[in-house]
Amino acid sequence: MSGRGRWGLLVWLTTVLACITIISRTQISTDLSAFLPRSPSPAQQVLVDQLRDGVVSRLILIAVEGEAPEKLAPLSHALAGRLRQENSFVSISNGDETGFEKSRDFLWRNRYLLSSEVTPAHFSAPELRRALENDLQLLGSPAGILVKRLLPNDPTGELLRLLDQMMGEQPPLTRDGVWFSPDEKRILLVAQTRGAGFDFDAQQLALSLIRNHFEAAKQEAGATGARLLETGPGVFSVEIRQTIKGDALRLSLIAAILVASLLLLVYRSALLVVLGLLPVATGALAGVAAVRLGFGAVNGVTLGFGVTLIGEAVDYAVYLFTQTAPGSTPEATLSRIWPTLRLGVLSSICGFGAMLFSGFSGLAELGMLSIVGLIAAVSVTRIVLPVLLPANFHAVDAMPFRRATLYLVQNAPRLRYPLAALVLLAIIFLIRQPGGPWDDDIASLSPVPQSARLLDEQLRRDVGAPDVRFVAIATAPTQEQALAKSETVAAQLQNSVTRGTIAGFDFPALYIPSRAAQQARQAALPASDVLDANLQQAVAGLPFAKGLFDPFLRDVAAAKVQPLLDRTSVGDSEIGLKLDSLLIRRGGFWVAMLPLRGVTDAAGLSNEIAGSKEDGVALLDLKEDFNRLYKSYRQEALVLALLGALAIVVLLSVFLRSLRRVYLVLTPLIAAVTMTTAVLAASGQKLSIFHMTGLLLVVAVGSNYSLFFESQSRPGEHRERTISSLALANLCTVIGFGILSFSRVPVLHGIGTTVAIGTVLSLIFSAVLIEHAAPESQLRSVAQR
Amino acid sequence: MRLHRIVFLLLFGVACGALSGTPAEAVDAPQNAQTGFGLEQLMAAFGQIKSAEARFMERKYLSLLNAPLESSGTLVYVAPDRLEKRTLLPKAESYVIDRGELTIEGVPGQRRRTMRIQNYPELAAFVESIRATLAGDVQTLRRFYDVRLEGSADDWKLILRPTAQRMQRAIKNITLGGSNAKLQTVEIEEADGDRSVMTVVADSP
Repeated sequence: MSGRGRWGLLVWLTTVLACITIISRTQISTDLSAFLPRSPSPAQQVLVDQLRDGVVSRLILIAVEGEAPEKLAPLSHALAGRLRQENSFVSISNGDETGFEKSRDFLWRNRYLLSSEVTPAHFSAPELRRALENDLQLLGSPAGILVKRLLPNDPTGELLRLLDQMMGEQPPLTRDGVWFSPDEKRILLVAQTRGAGFDFDAQQLALSLIRNHFEAAKQEAGATGARLLETGPGVFSVEIRQTIKGDALRLSLIAAILVASLLLLVYRSALLVVLGLLPVATGALAGVAAVRLGFGAVNGVTLGFGVTLIGEAVDYAVYLFTQTAPGSTPEATLSRIWPTLRLGVLSSICGFGAMLFSGFSGLAELGMLSIVGLIAAVSVTRIVLPVLLPANFHAVDAMPFRRATLYLVQNAPRLRYPLAALVLLAIIFLIRQPGGPWDDDIASLSPVPQSARLLDEQLRRDVGAPDVRFVAIATAPTQEQALAKSETVAAQLQNSVTRGTIAGFDFPALYIPSRAAQQARQAALPASDVLDANLQQAVAGLPFAKGLFDPFLRDVAAAKVQPLLDRTSVGDSEIGLKLDSLLIRRGGFWVAMLPLRGVTDAAGLSNEIAGSKEDGVALLDLKEDFNRLYKSYRQEALVLALLGALAIVVLLSVFLRSLRRVYLVLTPLIAAVTMTTAVLAASGQKLSIFHMTGLLLVVAVGSNYSLFFESQSRPGEHRERTISSLALANLCTVIGFGILSFSRVPVLHGIGTTVAIGTVLSLIFSAVLIEHAAPESQLRSVAQR
Repeated sequence: MRLHRIVFLLLFGVACGALSGTPAEAVDAPQNAQTGFGLEQLMAAFGQIKSAEARFMERKYLSLLNAPLESSGTLVYVAPDRLEKRTLLPKAESYVIDRGELTIEGVPGQRRRTMRIQNYPELAAFVESIRATLAGDVQTLRRFYDVRLEGSADDWKLILRPTAQRMQRAIKNITLGGSNAKLQTVEIEEADGDRSVMTVVADSP
């Protein structure tokens, strides 16, 4: 072993150990926001934050089905009772009355500070008279039975008004005191976890608690046929983590086994197979470690992508093994193919380098993983493999495989005109695609499977908590200012409610008004003697018992001097939780959120809000904004991909120093990318950002093929070995990525499909187009062999 | 979400009254051997009714007021599940129960509102019982009330006492009075001593 080889081995071993150390301390994040924007507008950032750790992200919807309603209702009580003992949950709502008392008391005790109706005119004699006349009607109506208890304290009906304002959409159906789905087939519970939605361990713990208590409650209630369903952001992330883990592991394993089997079949040497996988393994380790160092954590999706390296990095070893002729040495082969191999790796790096600049931190991670992985893999091939290979090594010649490949390759050029026609057709097809081939729905990025999304929608509908689409937000430096701003916006929105352009809305100052508003209301409450006089005047001639409204006088007097309300006044009651979801702190700012219901005229509303002079107020259309964001990302990815392509062209021009050669190398790639896009579109797939990444990979991998084809256009032993090594390498790639296309995770599936199709096409097209360009005589000499 | 709950309870009050016309659940009323008159017969007679319209006059005696409150309007029943109480005087308001929903209009401080009856167990009790009564469904009546029948076929009294504690806190009993399959009075005694008396006069003979 040469000194250089020893050093190489040492460096390699050290690197591997270091990588393993780094990776062992790496947190695998399944944070989907890695695949959300890194630098969005402040308004959008609010949304992203909400998705990450907002109250919404902490909700788990639980449903139980599979038993008769008579058995499900006790199960609901039992399950809720058990879960309420657990510290992991802030609240468990199942439709029973637990915990609602606190909220009602809060509203009742503070009604004069909370009600927006409290103005000086509100307690004038004529207004009081009107209120009392209404009260009489209420007393005479069926509602009287309840109202009469409130009347002596609240003749102006503040509590009713507050409740009316706070009542949102239809509440879920209740039966036997607990929530049911409208068809009464499922009981519904809503759990709010203490841990944030992105805190996977907390979410996982919460989920396992739910599952365990469900099993116990099931036995208790004797509902053995009951089935548990859960949904919510936390459930999704836990499931995605498992899916990704499962897919990445399983698919990597399958791909590795298949590739290893193929190599074993071709080389008939276990040692060669092990050595062939060394660059891949090293590349994957180095890539993941680099991402960990560069980004602080590794996203699960990125990790899953590591599996794709198997498909690509194994090529390097294949080139080395297959192209080493008997009698030659690996060193000699490497010296010969190194210029081409290096150029191939460099062009791949150009392609992936573009991804490094993506605003999707997820994609940037993928770029980093690929670049570092490829460099590591090629270095191992160059430095470590020659040392480890046996001295008299040469790959067994798989003659039948080689002959078949050569036969196909030599006949390939005949296809050049059909190919040209086909590519032309593909272009026309793509241009004529209605709406273009792109998928503009951000849902296509989500790793959440369709079935889980449908269940989520169903349960949300059942529980009457549909996804909010429109949210007005008001941002201000202090909590007080944010509250005040939300009051201004609320007043404006109230007009829209009156006009019927929105059905209703929620806002934080409804629960805790700004101090200014509370003070104004206190000031508006008349002094006791004034109120008494107004009341005497108002009550004259009405049949109310004498002294009936003394409690009212007392309550108003107390409200006039009561301490102002703040966040601490509501504690962890239902209202407190509500407030936390509507008023959030972000950096040095406070953001008030006003979710809107039943928006019929989004454009008008948007203009109206934009038209107001208020600073820091915006209307968010969650769906549109996210989709727009996504589009801008795709746009960005497209630009980056083009830049990457440009970099590849420049690189090739510099190294090949011939426009004709650059042209020869690039044509098959362009044709392959076009055809792949057309095939994907024709199969009914809309292209997402992940498919585009896949196309970039096609260029990166395919450039190796066309480079080798182009560089080995002289016939002979080397050329034959090169071509058969390309075919073998391509088979490995197709296996790796083809397996990936079976993943349930959209990103892995998208990239897998695209690359599997694209690389095969790259190889075929290289054969067709580059062979044709080789002089006829050379072809003939190949054919004669 | 629990805020809804508060509103449920409030509206429950609304609903209680709305349905004050009918409820009934039963401990067996002993059959009057001489006349062959009993709960079964009364229910069977009610079950024959396909639709009915009547005028009502209601008088409420409340401790809050130093004079009784009067209101009047119309009642409409369409078998098997529609019931309307339309008050015309002193102010117009209406409570319409159709299948699973109650729609309220004209109540001061409340916008027109439709609510699912099932969400309010007490309300559901009222609704199901009134329907059960008018449809002659004794089984359902007995799920919600102790039922006692007094008097004879042409002058009977059906006394309903809620069995659920929550309802007992609001209502002591509901007494329906009538002659044969004709409802003539509905008297509600509330737990706090207030009471209301509704007189019903059928439009059709």
